[in-house]
Amino acid sequence: MKRQNYFHVVKRDDVRLKRIILSYLLAVLIAIIIGGILLSIQNVNPFSYYKDMFSLGLIGNKFGYKQVEAFIKVFTPLLLTSVALSLAFKMRFWNIGGEGQFIMGAIGAGIVAYLLGDSLPSLIILPLMALVGALFGGLYGAFVAVLKVKYNTNETLLTLMMNYIALYLLKFFGETSGEWNFFLSTDSSRPLFASFPESALMIEIPTFFGYFSLNLSLVIALLICVAIWWYLKYTKRGYEIAVVGDSPNSAKYAGMKVSKIVVRTIFLSAALIGLAGAFYVSSAGTLSTSMTNSVGWTGIVVAWLAKLNTIAITVVSLLITVLQHGCSVASASYATVDANFANLLQGMILFAVLTADFFTRFKLVKTSKQEVE
Amino acid sequence: MKKLVTLFLAITMMVTCTACSTSESEEEDTSGITVGAIYITSQNDTSGYTYQHHTGIVTAMENLGLDTETDLLIVDNVEEDDTQVSAAIDTLAGQGCDIIFGISFGYITAFDTAAAQEEYSDIIFSHATGYLSNDTNFNNYFGRIYQARYLAGVAAGLKSLETGNDAIGYVAAYNLEYAETCSGINAFTLGVQSVNANATVYVNEISSWGDETLERQAAQALIDTYDVGIIAQHSDSAQPQMVAEENGIYGFGYNSDMTEQAPDAHICAPIWNWDIYYEAAISAVMEDPTTFMTTVGNYYGGLAEGFIDISELSDNAAEGTAEILEEVSALMESGEWDVFSGVSLEISTDGTITQVEEPVMKNDGTEAGVIDDSVITGTMDFNVEGVVAQ
Repeated sequence: MKRQNYFHVVKRDDVRLKRIILSYLLAVLIAIIIGGILLSIQNVNPFSYYKDMFSLGLIGNKFGYKQVEAFIKVFTPLLLTSVALSLAFKMRFWNIGGEGQFIMGAIGAGIVAYLLGDSLPSLIILPLMALVGALFGGLYGAFVAVLKVKYNTNETLLTLMMNYIALYLLKFFGETSGEWNFFLSTDSSRPLFASFPESALMIEIPTFFGYFSLNLSLVIALLICVAIWWYLKYTKRGYEIAVVGDSPNSAKYAGMKVSKIVVRTIFLSAALIGLAGAFYVSSAGTLSTSMTNSVGWTGIVVAWLAKLNTIAITVVSLLITVLQHGCSVASASYATVDANFANLLQGMILFAVLTADFFTRFKLVKTSKQEVE
Repeated sequence: MKKLVTLFLAITMMVTCTACSTSESEEEDTSGITVGAIYITSQNDTSGYTYQHHTGIVTAMENLGLDTETDLLIVDNVEEDDTQVSAAIDTLAGQGCDIIFGISFGYITAFDTAAAQEEYSDIIFSHATGYLSNDTNFNNYFGRIYQARYLAGVAAGLKSLETGNDAIGYVAAYNLEYAETCSGINAFTLGVQSVNANATVYVNEISSWGDETLERQAAQALIDTYDVGIIAQHSDSAQPQMVAEENGIYGFGYNSDMTEQAPDAHICAPIWNWDIYYEAAISAVMEDPTTFMTTVGNYYGGLAEGFIDISELSDNAAEGTAEILEEVSALMESGEWDVFSGVSLEISTDGTITQVEEPVMKNDGTEAGVIDDSVITGTMDFNVEGVVAQ
């Protein structure tokens, strides 16, 4: 007799928003409870830990506004990268090269800052950094898209491999002393990335809270989100992306130039990630070999959790940043809890939500006797 | 669905109750001082660089009667990225730290920036291995590990005379790229040559501060290529010592006593007693943070302070090593002589030490010139005579 699975997966035909949100919340709750048990084992009061985490440690903090500024610096690149990745995923182009495109954008912006930062004013240098960063990232991604449409290569493998090329290129600039290497600080005998000149630093908008200053890149990133949402929803080109994603053959049949659409879209996607890299280094004021903060990978999770919906991406990346930032802030206060626990908790929450996501779309049905026979 | 929700609410309540009963009350700061630390890897490591520092801070705080549960805040696994380091500093500053230690070189820019900020003017920033500081609240600290390497070199020289094998291997993270690594190689070699002028130190570089596989391969390659009788190292793991053990030769570890890992090979290891500095720094902040830069300042301690040392000699050491090392370290501790002072030692096996005025020669045959602290810590980029580096 042939062995049969006891269950099989059936797609649900009624996916209600209420149910999705409820099951997500439940999933997060489960993960938090498991985390709470683990915290209790370590003799840490889960309630005070979670209070610190979800308040980002702002309660009783002498320099709360600084936490918010730090938060924005982490949130902006994740938001931009996730939105950018959703463009590629909508077209079923599996761009997992976010890390590399981010780094190339940062390198591009860095080159502009180091070479021209001293001689040009902020208002020229910043747009130029953004432009060159976007161009570097965009071309880096488009290269893979061209190979795909021309030779039908596998973009998953290629974008993955390009990540390492970009990373080691950055490491090469960061660790090779030499007269020619303008990336390095001149006053350090050990290789060290130089700080950007004053004019290459991201503009901070002073606000009425006194100290707190709003990073301009966040404003631009939010505007870009709105633009992308509009682009996907109301423009012909945005529509073409969806059609190519659904079925390249239908798109061809409808007279669309599929290869052109693929290359164009991936250029846009990668350029936005490069722009995120440019914004990031401009806010930090220097380069570093660990600057991506895994944004290329986290962005993939964000994009999928948000079902590639631009508005949902904004919400999800906000929540994930709260989770990441809050975890590390909370971990600092407890002697026994280290950053590994923060990563564990994040992993559990994401995993629970992804599982919940699966069960909102599919259900397990008992295999009946007749089917077995 | 409703059933599920009720079930989970019930579980939540249960967990809540147990948690409440087991948890302690809110933290109370009694000592009036909070120490912050930023680590490159995990605070729960059981060996390696972060572990050394964490142990040092904990030991220092216990010696000063501080409670590490409540008075020590740590952000760990912080990569060398300015935004991440700044965020860690903001977290620690916001929670009321009076002094913040950063242990990795790449934190330098973020520390420099933070120390200059007005809000943080009451906080002391202390950065290991760097070169920047200011007059009020930002210092750097490091140690004269080259002194311990010289002692290890003397012990290695004595062992090479005993075994009759003049080839000595050295597994190095880096060589000329960092002053820290090449000054260590040079000091070790000068130590070897003070005893055995015919000895050669073969350096094999792995281009990583620590990588067990590479360290093992590098040590084995030194044995296969040069037939060395001793393996010294400037790398994180005990693998080179284990390779020495497997090949029936001798070795000098680094950072901790590796005799346990290689009982028949290991002789001694240059070690750091980080707690010596941490105790000095924390107690200075407890007394008066405003005078920190005049009382502690930029710290560069060595054998004299007990900040640098070698681990206990094992039974594998050559006859009479202990007495000779005792004399040599006394010379350094008293300040009468130092490794790069332009005077060499000639040490005979019966223990007589003569000081010879001769300049340190580079291995390209030129003179090294004056080698002061800034060269040792910052700009040294050569190897001395007797070093063969690939």
